[in-house]
Amino acid sequence: MTNNNSPTGSFSPSAARRPKRGYRRSRATRALTLAGVALVSVGVLAACDGSSSSSGSSSAVADATIPPSKVVSGASSALGYGSTPTTAAPVQGGVLHFGVLDAPEVIDPHEAGSYPESIIADNITDKLTWQDPVTGKLYPWLAASWSYNSSLTRFTFQLRHGVTFSNGQPFNAAAVKANFDQDALGDTKLQILPDPTHWTGYAGTLTPNPYEVIVEFSKPNAGFLTFSSFSGDNDPGFVANKTLQSSKTQRLIPANVIGTGPFIVKSFTYEQNVVLVRRNGYDWAPAPLAHDGAAYLNEVDIQTIPEASVRTGALESGQLQATLDVAPTDEPSLKSAGYQILYQPIGGQNIAFQLNADLFPTNDVDVRKALNLGWNRAALFGPVLSSSYRAAWSVLAPNVPGYVSFEKSALRYDPAAAEALLNSDGWKVGSGGYRYKDGKELTVKFLGINNLAPNQSAYELIQEQLKQVGINVELSVLPIPDFTAQQAVAQTKWNGIAANTSRDDPSVLWQADSPAVGNGSYVQPSSPEDQPLVSILQNVQSTLDPAQRAAATAQAQNELIAQYALVDPVYVPSQVIAANKDVHGIVFDAQSRNLFYDTWIGK
Amino acid sequence: MAWIRYAAAKVGRALFVIWAAYTLSFVLLFMLPVKAVDLLFDPQELMTISNATKQKVAAEYGFNKPAFVQYGDRLWAALHGNFGTSVQSGAPVWKAIGDVFPPTLVLAAAALALALAISFGIAFFAANSHHAWLVNFVEALPSATVSVPVFLIGLIAIQVFSFDLHWFPPLGDQGFGSLVLPMFTLAIPVAGPISQLLVNSFQRELAAPYVTTSLAKGGTRSWVISREVFRNASLPALTIAGITFGNILAGAVITETIFSRTGLGRLTQTAVGTKDIPVIQGIVVLTAGLYAITNLVVDFIYPILDPRLKARIAAT
Repeated sequence: MTNNNSPTGSFSPSAARRPKRGYRRSRATRALTLAGVALVSVGVLAACDGSSSSSGSSSAVADATIPPSKVVSGASSALGYGSTPTTAAPVQGGVLHFGVLDAPEVIDPHEAGSYPESIIADNITDKLTWQDPVTGKLYPWLAASWSYNSSLTRFTFQLRHGVTFSNGQPFNAAAVKANFDQDALGDTKLQILPDPTHWTGYAGTLTPNPYEVIVEFSKPNAGFLTFSSFSGDNDPGFVANKTLQSSKTQRLIPANVIGTGPFIVKSFTYEQNVVLVRRNGYDWAPAPLAHDGAAYLNEVDIQTIPEASVRTGALESGQLQATLDVAPTDEPSLKSAGYQILYQPIGGQNIAFQLNADLFPTNDVDVRKALNLGWNRAALFGPVLSSSYRAAWSVLAPNVPGYVSFEKSALRYDPAAAEALLNSDGWKVGSGGYRYKDGKELTVKFLGINNLAPNQSAYELIQEQLKQVGINVELSVLPIPDFTAQQAVAQTKWNGIAANTSRDDPSVLWQADSPAVGNGSYVQPSSPEDQPLVSILQNVQSTLDPAQRAAATAQAQNELIAQYALVDPVYVPSQVIAANKDVHGIVFDAQSRNLFYDTWIGK
Repeated sequence: MAWIRYAAAKVGRALFVIWAAYTLSFVLLFMLPVKAVDLLFDPQELMTISNATKQKVAAEYGFNKPAFVQYGDRLWAALHGNFGTSVQSGAPVWKAIGDVFPPTLVLAAAALALALAISFGIAFFAANSHHAWLVNFVEALPSATVSVPVFLIGLIAIQVFSFDLHWFPPLGDQGFGSLVLPMFTLAIPVAGPISQLLVNSFQRELAAPYVTTSLAKGGTRSWVISREVFRNASLPALTIAGITFGNILAGAVITETIFSRTGLGRLTQTAVGTKDIPVIQGIVVLTAGLYAITNLVVDFIYPILDPRLKARIAAT
């Protein structure tokens, strides 16, 4: 039995390795994002604004007068994310008992995969930069400033002084190099796997002086700049030499997992909880966060509670102050009982079926277009999704810089247009209501993962609606390991595979969809889609000029959706927290991981 | 001599069961349509991992060797008590299992004791009561407990006794209080088959001629039940010890999940869910071993309780 089969409907992944998460931003702020990218692109300029204020409170995003819960989730509350604004003064101390579905398997940040694992990583480490989850703008963190060459193969970071790991080791260029080398290349002797996905083309890190690092790549890697703030799987937060020299096994012991972050792992009881304790003396939070100095909470107790109804019950009976992985069906009753519902839709590449361009019948572009037009994305709201989720009007989540909506065009609900496409393509409706061509039924085989509660019902709705236009959808929604097994044979077996990839950068398209990289649609070198896609997705990865990058990203989405219909976006997933009204300042970062640095519990 | 032969046969069978379970689990896991090395990576990133990287990692874990060599290596290591390390967490398998086994053992022992108490209670009551409707009602209980899913009992228990009445904590495994609800949740379905069997054997034994004889000699009904019927009626319950053991393990997966307890059940679920092959094999060997030992103990107790079997062994 998996949690996902439980009668109460658990919301999020049950297996250890699950798709990564991102964040979301409302459409109203899209223009702001472009502005944010503009600022980021002038790295040194952005850096100046933060390095001049190591106190952080003079940042453009947050200032000392903004109460904690209004920062990030405060910007969010203005956009309707549901955080309760407060004017009360933060309270020091206390323990936050925080419920999650998954049991962390590891506490080593670099090995983080599941959501709780990366929450732990997020709170015990710091990154070079901080990405604003709303605007996408990068702020200085452990890097005081940065610059890069025009071919985007050399990224230079000037490091902040005075930062230490919790065991006293100074944070400097040597520490960055040691971390990046192991992140990128792995160390199989220590059972540490390489991460070639995020570190594609990594050529090494130079340390010209103790507070300067130069990260080099063999080919352009525009996505690396935001990756320096990344908080998803294979978290690039920094750990001490003692951790880097420990084997994967030794890294299960909290004393061996040492970061520079505002919390330290105090205890790790498998399947039970992970307790984080405040690091006193911490004083290098990124400027956009609400305060300076050490965290407010004494401890954070991250408790694994597999059963959705027990998480909700534990919140209501006071055993938890907040819980992640709230079942969509529990949201309305919790809200009406006075609990805060905090959420942030997840960015990167949405939950979307990648259509197989190498397998009948999805090797036919008209069939693929009909699949996109033949079902109603808005109809998911109500029966399947709560208002904490967003409709997927593109392959990208709305917050990713360069997002373009196809709500009125290729992704509109237009069954008549879908039928017209199929008719003119020679697909005739047969006896059972499904279409046929040359004696073959129009059947598409779709594969999904059961790690998010809405998936199965969402796909069933698609199946039902596509039946109306004569397309037979055969559906398999499997646990992650079985999904992985099927993925290995997908090219010859599945017409569409649904998953999401979170990464708050348009490079996620290059990573997942370029025929030269992830090739999610199995585009063959001989096919007409191949060359245009390779080149336009390479453009996304080869420029940090905001206008050029936005144009390339728009063009990439247009090719993937309107022109070649290689993806069938389903919905924008969300991370949803329910918290009692005394909890303030839970921050969602750019990957929708939660930071408890600004969190405090009122009386 | 006969006893030594009997013991050797039984121990040999137990060892064979453990070896067979180990081998079968290896074959089944090996036949899965997925490469072991692929499972080490995030499924969404799998396509961006180069073959060279995969081969390097596979070599480090020994996945590149032929199946029978891997089998031999693993079996040899396993015979030395080394089941390798968990692919997911990196913890040595014996430690991963050793950490979660004690809480499961406590839960299982408590649940078994409670289940036996419930079962004998039901059987005694059914045998002693003079109210036919009450007997019918009590006799219906075992089938009812077998039919109600464990997760439903657990969720209702949590709702009523934790969230509404605040008598017991809803989660964790600290102290006796946190054991009460899981113990009942697990005991109820385990008690089902045992009490079903006991009710039947009490009825059968009560109808046996020796009961009539004892009663005719002046024994009271309760004296006969507790002195004679009890022992004879208990024997069949022993034979389903293996089934009981399986019920407890299966129930533990769900009970531990609902009550957020650490334990073997949840480790099993996670290991199977993530296809953590070394951990699965460690658990398979452990459970096969426990199962074999349970049956071995039953095999040795049986002749003590049943003189007919004792005589038969001595005669061989």
